[in-house]
Amino acid sequence: MHPTINEIYEGIINGQNAFVQQKVKDALAAGLPPADILNQGMIAAMAEVGKRFEEGEYYVPEMLIAARAMQGGMALLKPHLKQGEIKSPGKVAIGTVKGDLHDIGKNLVAMMLEGAGFEIMDLGTDVTPQKFVEAVRAGVNIIAMSALLTTTMTNMKVTVTALEEAGLRGQVKIMIGGAPVTEAYAKQIGADGYGVDASRAVGVAKALVTA
Amino acid sequence: MTDSTQYPKIFHIDFEPVGRRVEVPAGLTLLEAAQIAGVELVAICGGSGSCGTCRVRLMQGELSALTLVEESELSREEILSGCRMACQSLPLSDVRVDIPPESLTAPQRLQVEGQGIDVSVDPIVVPADIHVAPPGLYDLRSDVTRLKATLAEQGYPSVTIEQTILTDLSEQLRAQNWSTRLAMRGGILGSEVVGILPLPTDDLRKETGHTSTFLGFAVDVGTTKLAAYLVDLTNGMTLAKAGAMNPQIGYGEDVVSRIAYANEHSDGRCVLQERLVATLNQLVTELCAEVGTSREQIVEAVIVGNTAMHHLFAGLPVRQLGAAPYVPVVSDSLELRARDIGLDLSPAARVYLPPNIAGYVGADHVAMLLAMDVARARHTVVTLDIGTNTEISLVSEGRHLSCSCASGPAFEGAHIHDGMRAAPGAIERVRIMDAIVRIHTIGGLAPVGICGSGILDAIAELLRIGVIDRRGGMMEKHPQTRQHNGKVEFVLANAEASGHGRAVVVTRSDVNTIQLAKGAIRAGVEVLLKDAGKTAADIQEFIVAGAFGTYLDLGSAVRIGMFPDLPIDRFRQVGNAAGTGARQLLISAARRKEAERIAQQVEYIELTTHPAFTEEFYKALMF
Repeated sequence: MHPTINEIYEGIINGQNAFVQQKVKDALAAGLPPADILNQGMIAAMAEVGKRFEEGEYYVPEMLIAARAMQGGMALLKPHLKQGEIKSPGKVAIGTVKGDLHDIGKNLVAMMLEGAGFEIMDLGTDVTPQKFVEAVRAGVNIIAMSALLTTTMTNMKVTVTALEEAGLRGQVKIMIGGAPVTEAYAKQIGADGYGVDASRAVGVAKALVTA
Repeated sequence: MTDSTQYPKIFHIDFEPVGRRVEVPAGLTLLEAAQIAGVELVAICGGSGSCGTCRVRLMQGELSALTLVEESELSREEILSGCRMACQSLPLSDVRVDIPPESLTAPQRLQVEGQGIDVSVDPIVVPADIHVAPPGLYDLRSDVTRLKATLAEQGYPSVTIEQTILTDLSEQLRAQNWSTRLAMRGGILGSEVVGILPLPTDDLRKETGHTSTFLGFAVDVGTTKLAAYLVDLTNGMTLAKAGAMNPQIGYGEDVVSRIAYANEHSDGRCVLQERLVATLNQLVTELCAEVGTSREQIVEAVIVGNTAMHHLFAGLPVRQLGAAPYVPVVSDSLELRARDIGLDLSPAARVYLPPNIAGYVGADHVAMLLAMDVARARHTVVTLDIGTNTEISLVSEGRHLSCSCASGPAFEGAHIHDGMRAAPGAIERVRIMDAIVRIHTIGGLAPVGICGSGILDAIAELLRIGVIDRRGGMMEKHPQTRQHNGKVEFVLANAEASGHGRAVVVTRSDVNTIQLAKGAIRAGVEVLLKDAGKTAADIQEFIVAGAFGTYLDLGSAVRIGMFPDLPIDRFRQVGNAAGTGARQLLISAARRKEAERIAQQVEYIELTTHPAFTEEFYKALMF
């Protein structure tokens, strides 16, 4: 690995946003292949962050700042990535369901997925079932829904029903997550996957697109 | 001059129920000891003996003899019950002192028995003691007509008497020999009779054992705990206080889960309301028994609580509180009939609920602001009440901003490995001196867990000695750290020393949980500051209210970054200010107007959609 790309890798793991951005600029200026920067610098770093989280060494705060550093670098890298270069596993439309404004967890999942190479359509918060339906029509592989309140998670079921009624259910995989959400609830509403945390959400998403 | 080999005597003073202990040399008054201990004892005259507001009660130990000032200020009953003025009493031994709620920081002291104190009872309900001429062959007017005529003579030209009073009126007048005390509500022009009570005569007292009459009932309905007070409406004195757990806990630990319960069950709202009111009625029974009175003497009530508690109490729908944009049904103040709610007081008693501010900043926050009198502050003040939701207000240069942060139940012990509520055996204080971990538990029992103030101290200390780094990682750098199941943890109490035979530890996961909680709170403060164009350094007063706020160590809170790093003297811990505010609202119409003004003036900020929140939260997560 080129030393600069290694610095990007370490910078992301340590959550050094400004440093990562500087090093991405340096790497691009040095003519390093953007795909290498992406795969070896960023995706590999985020995989390591996820691993450390799952091992109990990193917790949500570290994940958040690492993901942010990755995003900072990614924003500078994206314009340089050519269409065919990135082997994106898929496109995900992600949002917090209607009636719910919480987005920190949802944002973290989005960043982890992006860090794994997925293309992200972030629908924001308070997202109506209709908006999820439209996202499917626009062409995504996965719908990812987040809810933080026991009073709003019912809208996950409403969204699944909306997709069924629009005849689109078979065209997309649905995964859900959030503090009050459980594996059992996911099964109950007919979702395809459940992400217990932002790191494992990546594994779930990967499994859903290869299934 | 004392013998140079004789050291000054030191006494231990224990102030309850706040739980502050201090050692002071002989020769200092209880008031001075309270000041040293940082206990906010009211002393309007500054300790010169002229205001009588520093009343405390001696529980154990010896104090200097009663002074002439005390003999003239305190009533005979008070003296007999051990009541003293803190500025006049000097400990002669170690003492334990009870500070009644009304002696703890109420910046605006409301009590009539004073000498020229510029605060007053501004009654909503007043007693009218009358004698109605009995009917006779030459006066065949109805009881109500004669009653109203008597009242008109006493200056009440226009009076309404509602159904419940009518039902009992005739019988009661005759039983009381035509002499009665009426509770009149609403002022001279247009009063309503809200109670018929016996006259508080000495004979009655002997007969019934009741000594207190004409009372009000104030309650702070917390999500977890209820704090109830019985107040003498004629002079504003708190006669008794009692607490209870909120019975709704069985239907949901936090507000959102109770809303979910109400959403999912057709009778959910009713059940939650009935359980709460049943407990309130039990508190009334308890308070009346303690003071020696009957519930019919309670002619007015005030209930404060967060918006969800408010709505559930009043029988209002809560569904819309559980979904964005989280708006209340009503934010104006309300006056309900106690019996419509099932609250068993004087049959026609009213319940006043002050205004709410938003879906998650409620009437209790308004009551707290009222008691702290910060709304009119000219300086920059932050007030916060920490709980599962932490409500924060910032007053600065005429602007008043409020927000609600999801701090979560970490400080109640939830999601903490050995976490527990503040109960006997909970580690509540931690200090680490080199290799030795010094802990203090509630009740002095062997430790069985850690409560909110304990985990706060533990993490602050671990940070201070470098076992925890800025990002929250834990290092094996101390004799008390160990590996367990592949993870590092810090042992606060070894298995042999604990009360249950297992070590009491702080884990890395606990650190994370506290990071999230304190990050939310600090982010809330920073967002409000940003919106007001201020920085933390501009804060001149930082007021911490609520139960947890009373017990937490300010130094620890500042060290971990939950509170901004300000000079310690800018902080104030004020206990249950909402309860104080509720009592102010009980006895003063002026304070009700002020509460309404406060609610109008507040700008509510929704943190989850504020552009600065995410950034501030990330920053605040680190130590």
